[in-house]
Amino acid sequence: MTLNPTLKSRLTQPSHPAAVPAAPMASTAMRYDSPIEAAITQISATLAAHPTLATQYPPRWLAIQLLEGDEGLTTLVQATPNSTAILEQVSNQHAHLSAHYNDDLDVVLADQRYRFVHQVVQHTLTRPAAPAATISDRIDQIVTHKWLGIPIFLLLMWVVFKLTTDVSAPMLDWVDGVMSGPLTAWSIALLGTLGLGGTWFESLVVDGVIAGVGGVLVFVPVLLALYFALALLEDSGYMARAAFVMDRLMRTLGLHGKSFLPMIVGFGCNVPAIYATRTLERQQDRILTGLLVPFMSCSARLPVYVLLAAIFFPTQTGLVVFSLYLLGILVAILLGIILKHTLFKRSEQIPFILELPPYRMPTIQSIWRQMWERTAAFVRKAGTIILATSIVVWLLIATPVRGAGSFAATEMDDSAFAAVAGSVAPIFAPLGFGSWEASGALLTGFVAKEVVVSTMSQIYAVEPEAAADEDLATLSVVDGLTEIVTSFGTAALDTLKAIPLVIGINLTDAEAEAEPTALMDTLQTSFEQASGGHGTLAALAFLVFVLLYTPCVTAVAAARQEFGNKWMWFSIIGQFTLAWIAACMVFQIGRLLGLG
Amino acid sequence: MLQQVLHALEQAQQPLSLNDLAVQVGVDTATLEGMLAFWERKGRIVLHDGQACMSRGCGGCSPTGGCAFAGPSPRAFLLVPDERKP
Repeated sequence: MTLNPTLKSRLTQPSHPAAVPAAPMASTAMRYDSPIEAAITQISATLAAHPTLATQYPPRWLAIQLLEGDEGLTTLVQATPNSTAILEQVSNQHAHLSAHYNDDLDVVLADQRYRFVHQVVQHTLTRPAAPAATISDRIDQIVTHKWLGIPIFLLLMWVVFKLTTDVSAPMLDWVDGVMSGPLTAWSIALLGTLGLGGTWFESLVVDGVIAGVGGVLVFVPVLLALYFALALLEDSGYMARAAFVMDRLMRTLGLHGKSFLPMIVGFGCNVPAIYATRTLERQQDRILTGLLVPFMSCSARLPVYVLLAAIFFPTQTGLVVFSLYLLGILVAILLGIILKHTLFKRSEQIPFILELPPYRMPTIQSIWRQMWERTAAFVRKAGTIILATSIVVWLLIATPVRGAGSFAATEMDDSAFAAVAGSVAPIFAPLGFGSWEASGALLTGFVAKEVVVSTMSQIYAVEPEAAADEDLATLSVVDGLTEIVTSFGTAALDTLKAIPLVIGINLTDAEAEAEPTALMDTLQTSFEQASGGHGTLAALAFLVFVLLYTPCVTAVAAARQEFGNKWMWFSIIGQFTLAWIAACMVFQIGRLLGLG
Repeated sequence: MLQQVLHALEQAQQPLSLNDLAVQVGVDTATLEGMLAFWERKGRIVLHDGQACMSRGCGGCSPTGGCAFAGPSPRAFLLVPDERKP
């Protein structure tokens, strides 16, 4: 490579008035080491004598490309007449130089070019000894700090869950009010008009669809708040730092550093997280990470956490939810260490570089798009998987297997659902929630975690009191709409008042806080009865079980597709066993210590 | 210089950021990107810049395509073990 005189002059002059070259360059012509130059000269001379190639390409350039093994040009040269001698010469020189440098010749040539460019830059550009730190650099010095990185990550997670639970609570109550009030009233009125009032179809709509699907849709505000917080962290560039900090921790513990990238995806949904293990190079690492991903609390588990935490830990809901997320990470790390030293001994560390993009101000459009896409996915799921499961659960609840009831007019204790769920309930008795209701919710929760809530809404559904029932029956469309609008205004105001709760300032009127609903009362009573008066402990054990057992049937299918049948079953059985042991420890140790 | 990049990566005890490696090798990040691209072409480094999702059944597909839950992932360059080494 030879530079023209103008460029040569520019390169040998300082690029900046304050920049002084360290030493004048002897030459700005790119020259390789002498053995390489000798080879290039020989091949160039041969190429220059070739009638076709000499007119098409600069001989020196072509000689270098052929020595580097450019496949396209080699094929092109092969296609020209009388090229055998040239290619033989290139081959001989290639073999000679590769042996001389004990490395691939293209690496040697590229390396010498990089050295040349580096030398040119060093002689023409003076940089400050210590480059000025950008804002991103300064923030990174704190958030990726060896000791501060993890506490900052945990603090941000705590803020996320405080925001998710406290700020969304008024809107959650509003949606709940709309579902159980005007929507139910209008559905009953409409069915009555159609002559279906009091029939099994009304029971299906009210007790199956509205109680089941509606019971899950109530949590849309909670998920909106979570997706808002996650989008804020992702768009600002912090999530990459979180992965970096957690990678460092995991590597220190002997786990594959890059495992935490799929795990972070798992906070949204475990299914793409299992597929994201493909970014790991080795099958052993993929399987190991795939076994750990389900312990990351996906957003589908959040409604279960919020429902039970709000009932049993009303003043510490955010802390309980945060603790469950944290417990999931801790279990994943501990299990990872155990598996790494037993089944996955051959798994080795693979060094890697992570790009930390500069911090940027999140845009409203981008945050809204992410919130919308994720919430829409959740609502779609409510309209498909959860709706289908709710109908199946309703069918089982409506079908009597004992007693004197008939279809859709039977005591719930006499239903097929109670019989099926009751047959597995003894398994959960040592965990404090051996009732058929709790067991049934866990059984259907295998389909998807939101179904735990929808099933609870269906089986713990209580008949409204006569007065309330009459109010609902007489609720006109205008009154209903007025109620929806006015209660929305109140909820919006309460949401604004709840924002300072994130930093511990309570502006809400204690008297105005929501009264426990009938569902909450029934659920609390059921847990108290099943656990012999240790309802809070039993609820905590139930939450731990929900955190640790199989996330959903789609995650199981993803595990099967990625890792095969053997590891899918290992995952299902392992998660169930671990969930059972952990929940049992929570309940039994807590009871021994006199807690709850 | 090119070997220096691989050597620094092999010796790293923890994940490196692009900036850290650029400082270690003594080049700017743009030059380092070029060097990494060279090693990627040579098969010594693999670049990952997103997650794949093959599922159509979890309900998490976004209306614009792709997975709504798999957010933007930071680019990661992984070192591929040298098979020629014993």
